[in-house]
Amino acid sequence: MTKIRRYCKLMGVFAKYSLMSALEYRINFVTGMTVEMGWMVIKLMYVAIIYKAGTNIGILTPDHILLFIGTYVLMTGIYMLYFGNFCSIPGMVQQGELDLYLVKPVSLQFLVTMRRLEFAYLLPNLAAGVFMIVTGWRLAGLPVSAASIAGFLFYLACGCLLTYSLFLVPYILGFWIISVGGISDISNALWDFNNMPSMIYGKWFRRVGTYILPIFVITNFPGLFLMGELSPFSCVWGAAAPVLFFVLVRIFWKISLKRYSSASS
Amino acid sequence: MSSYRCVFVMGVEQALEYRMSFFLSMLSAAFPIVIQTTMWNYLYRHSDAAAVFGYQQGEILLYTLLATIVSQLGGTGFEWEMNSDIKMGGLNKYLIRPVEYKGYQFFRFLGQKIPRLMVIGPVMTVIIGGAVWQGLPVSPGRVLVFLGSLILGAILNFSIFYCIGLLAFWLTDVDKLFGTISIVLTVVSGGVFPLDIFGGLVEILVNLAPFGYTTQFPVNIINGRFGWERMGVGFVFQTGWILVFVCLGEAMWRRGIRRYAAVGG
Repeated sequence: MTKIRRYCKLMGVFAKYSLMSALEYRINFVTGMTVEMGWMVIKLMYVAIIYKAGTNIGILTPDHILLFIGTYVLMTGIYMLYFGNFCSIPGMVQQGELDLYLVKPVSLQFLVTMRRLEFAYLLPNLAAGVFMIVTGWRLAGLPVSAASIAGFLFYLACGCLLTYSLFLVPYILGFWIISVGGISDISNALWDFNNMPSMIYGKWFRRVGTYILPIFVITNFPGLFLMGELSPFSCVWGAAAPVLFFVLVRIFWKISLKRYSSASS
Repeated sequence: MSSYRCVFVMGVEQALEYRMSFFLSMLSAAFPIVIQTTMWNYLYRHSDAAAVFGYQQGEILLYTLLATIVSQLGGTGFEWEMNSDIKMGGLNKYLIRPVEYKGYQFFRFLGQKIPRLMVIGPVMTVIIGGAVWQGLPVSPGRVLVFLGSLILGAILNFSIFYCIGLLAFWLTDVDKLFGTISIVLTVVSGGVFPLDIFGGLVEILVNLAPFGYTTQFPVNIINGRFGWERMGVGFVFQTGWILVFVCLGEAMWRRGIRRYAAVGG
């Protein structure tokens, strides 16, 4: 418990310094927000097309789809908050910059993946995502109760842990190969599959995306829980998959770290 | 001319430096195609999408397949290097050599396209063959005109991004601004969805602005939406916009180079 409190405190310090740094270079902060807004335009185009067509996807009405895409937008903002740290891992490995962090009395994985937070990327996605979720929730007539909100937030939190675990893997490969550009392109493209609810894809595609490479769990399960469409098994899987993949990525990190050779004398 | 030939070959070699990464990057471009074709197939099966969006199912699917490919072919990336050259003094070495900076960037841009073309060419041939088989009006003449517009589209994209790269002479921190511009231009060029599905004012703006002539115009030639007269008008616009951006680039270079302070001994 003391350890968790210590890491929460550290996270607070990282957030404070990242925010101070962001506010020091305000133009950079604003342009960072515009980058995310650009990406958001693409996501909103999908919403516009669905509403223009005015058709349901399975049991999902356009309002439900708005809620699902809103969840995807919000999760993108949270992922982008620490995504820059993932991208810098291969460079740190190649140039021996991990030496500095190895000697610190905290988890190296935590330090390397959370030390810099990009609030400029979080804010637009947070604002738009929450707005879309609330609007979709209201228009779709979904229940607003303490249990439904708690369940939705629980699966959002599970989605956050799963995102961290799944999408860290391509960058850990930086310990093994020189250029991870192509692999990270693939993982970024995989993330975009959540741009539409999983129900639009075929049965086998959906199964692979839910149980083998569970990208659909991240943004679909919170909405499906609200709709009462999660089977008991799916409810358990939605909570177990993040823990399972976090343990796996932790093991992979430790194995990969053994390949690191210090660059200093 | 031999120096530019060397730059061209260097571009080819650079693109193939990390071959696995290159092919994975190419593969990642297929993912958005899967998402969009799934969505369009669903919408056309379950609603009167042809009347809503003004595209027949075959046309929109061909558009989705080819727009990503055309965007890949015309895509740039040299603007980041231009920024670095201007900011860090790397421009010095080009100023004292018997090679024009713009020519250097252009021939390297062309060289980097060759490996992509070798992958994309056969894929595009299969897609166009499939379109003919599906009964879309794709004649050999139309394919030739499409290839012409593709080359002009790539030149136009180069000219636009060359001007954007030159902004580094005036702006202090352009990294994230480039990111924003790149995303916005992908959207307004029709690289994600054909913008004329949103009708009215958007369609008029797309026809007048230069960006649609990099992606949407070539693709709409091959999918049979444009008659010969409309193609002729399009070519006039495409060539006109190339001239505008070439002249703008020249003017920006002349003014920018006066502001440039060479760094280094």
